[in-house]
Amino acid sequence: MFPWNYGFHFGVASYIFLGAFYTVLIVVATTVANALWRANRDLSKGKVEDIRWHSDFHDLSAADRSCRHVLTGEFASRECPHAFNCGECETHAKLIALHPLGQAAEPEAEIFGMSFPLDRMYHRGHTWARPEADGTVTVGLDDLGSRLLGTPDAVDLPKPGTHVHANGTAFRVHRREADVRILSPVDGEVVETGGVDRGFFLRVKPIDGVMDMTPLLRDAEVKPWLMRELERLQLALTMEGASTPSLADGGVPVADIAAAYPKTDWDAVCGEMFLEP
Amino acid sequence: MANQMFQQIDKEFITRGVRRCSTPRFILWLAPWVALLVFGVYSAGLCLVKGLNQTNMDNRYAFGLWIFVDLTIIALGAGAFFTGFLLYILKFKELKAVINSAVVIGLVCYSGAMCALMVDVGQPLRAWFTFWYPNVHSMLTEVTFCISCYLCVLFIEYLPIVLKNRKLREVPGFLVFEFEMHKLIYVLAGVGTFLSFFHQGSLGGLYGVLRGRPFAFREHIFIWPSTFFLFIISAAAVGPSFLICTTALVEKITGKRLVKDRVFDLLARISGILLSVYVLAKTIDTLIWINRTSPGLGFTASQYYDWQPFGTWILFAEIVLCGLMPALILLTPRLRVRRAWLISGAFLACCGIALNRYVQTVQTLALPTLSFDKFLSYTPSWQEVGTFLGVLAYGVLVYSFSFRYFQVFPEERELKIEVRTRQEEEPALAGRF
Repeated sequence: MFPWNYGFHFGVASYIFLGAFYTVLIVVATTVANALWRANRDLSKGKVEDIRWHSDFHDLSAADRSCRHVLTGEFASRECPHAFNCGECETHAKLIALHPLGQAAEPEAEIFGMSFPLDRMYHRGHTWARPEADGTVTVGLDDLGSRLLGTPDAVDLPKPGTHVHANGTAFRVHRREADVRILSPVDGEVVETGGVDRGFFLRVKPIDGVMDMTPLLRDAEVKPWLMRELERLQLALTMEGASTPSLADGGVPVADIAAAYPKTDWDAVCGEMFLEP
Repeated sequence: MANQMFQQIDKEFITRGVRRCSTPRFILWLAPWVALLVFGVYSAGLCLVKGLNQTNMDNRYAFGLWIFVDLTIIALGAGAFFTGFLLYILKFKELKAVINSAVVIGLVCYSGAMCALMVDVGQPLRAWFTFWYPNVHSMLTEVTFCISCYLCVLFIEYLPIVLKNRKLREVPGFLVFEFEMHKLIYVLAGVGTFLSFFHQGSLGGLYGVLRGRPFAFREHIFIWPSTFFLFIISAAAVGPSFLICTTALVEKITGKRLVKDRVFDLLARISGILLSVYVLAKTIDTLIWINRTSPGLGFTASQYYDWQPFGTWILFAEIVLCGLMPALILLTPRLRVRRAWLISGAFLACCGIALNRYVQTVQTLALPTLSFDKFLSYTPSWQEVGTFLGVLAYGVLVYSFSFRYFQVFPEERELKIEVRTRQEEEPALAGRF
């Protein structure tokens, strides 16, 4: 059978069997080696955060992956094929060229008592980014995100000088059993850190002088997105066994939603809302 | 305090958003299976240390419970390669919901079969002989090579499932390797399909070439006996059925919905179609065997069924009761939409394949072939049964751990919403905004 066996001689069967067997072994070994090589390359190029986001995005439910143009009614349903990186999306560029986003009538979107100023742009993981006059960008948690986490037990902020990546981890917040990674809306280098009391968490400066804000929601997109987020929150709470919440006319979400549902698996609710499945 | 800490650590490994029983309850569930595994290891140990005299097999009855179990679980585990083939090669996207479960089942079945085979061969220290000095004239060589290679493939396919664990993916190296491995998984799915096709076929071929056993011997198509093809088709047909059965069983035990109905429906359709092809092929094969092959070897087919308990009922049960009937159930939309019918159909299909492997193994050896031969009966010893139970316990344990800590059913979280909203009298969102 094998050349090292006594009495071995080559024949058609030997060629077929050995050919198939060694081909299989080579294919399997090459595949694993290729994956290891690629993994090593990704690690050395610092792509961990990007990969973490792509992996998380892949695991989001189809509804959570919906395109921003579904929010504005341009599509009845469409899944984002670019992991919310609208800069890569040809459809987004075409649609924006055809129908530029309208300016919101008010300077602030207010929904159920929550405030969403429109001088900034919003990431779908409940952070906002506000360009400052000095070229830096301030990053904070939006009103719904803040209410979800209430008063955090602890916040792990990156040190100044750290590079954060769009859709990568900006900082971590601990509340009850929940350990939530908050997604960064932009790429950049952290120049200052804030905190809950200061109204922002990070101030970042662009690395190459340019900061891509294309993927962030703005103006007329904010209100429909927030409506959808409240819908998602209701679903998440229902899913985690909280009694079905309802917002009666005139009611507003409490400042600390986590405290209002002490028996609910808050880690799961936060995972759902902050896009960390 | 230590107990609480242990429970906290345990919880950190569980996928976010899915509910699992408490740690003590999980340990309680594991306890009897661990006991059974220990008993199995003891039984296997006796066979390995004292020799195969611990079994009720002998030179005449060389294949017994273990080979029957091996053939059956390898056929049932075929869901792994076939689901992978359908998902990654033919792009049946819906099967993403069960592919991880299929891989776990495949791994359990194949590794369990390998363990049992190792005990059966009896000399594990010389296991490498089969690779170094393979017998070119034996179909078993092809089986050994293919199963060993496919087991490696299954281990590699299982790795991303493990590395996707919530806690493990915090390690950047694991996260990145899992991500890159997942991108190349279609290559492994292709290799797995190739290997599975051949070893399922070779296992069938093993019986079809037994010229001295007219009950098993079959006509050849090119160089392969018909059983080569029948084993491939039957394994592909029953793999999805076994997935239906295991998923439904896990749903029942855990009280959760794990897979959408349309996935069950798709699996049932695939299984039904392939089972119909198998029943047709098996019927033709049986007719040829009855009318040509067997008389050509000096036996009328009725002679095989004179020996009780192997009456003609066994042929009827194999082809009609556990072949044609489940095929019809799984192919009828009105029936398969009902869970009881669906599971009955899938279960019958699994029984049919088990019966086929039993007949090929046990009945073949029991029947006399020479004038001085006697009809033999065989009952497995407790050591043989113990080893089999050990394999069963091992399977349950691996599946239980996988289900608890890994995303075996990725749709589980999503389905939680449907279950809860369905429970509400009024849809949660209706008219709220």
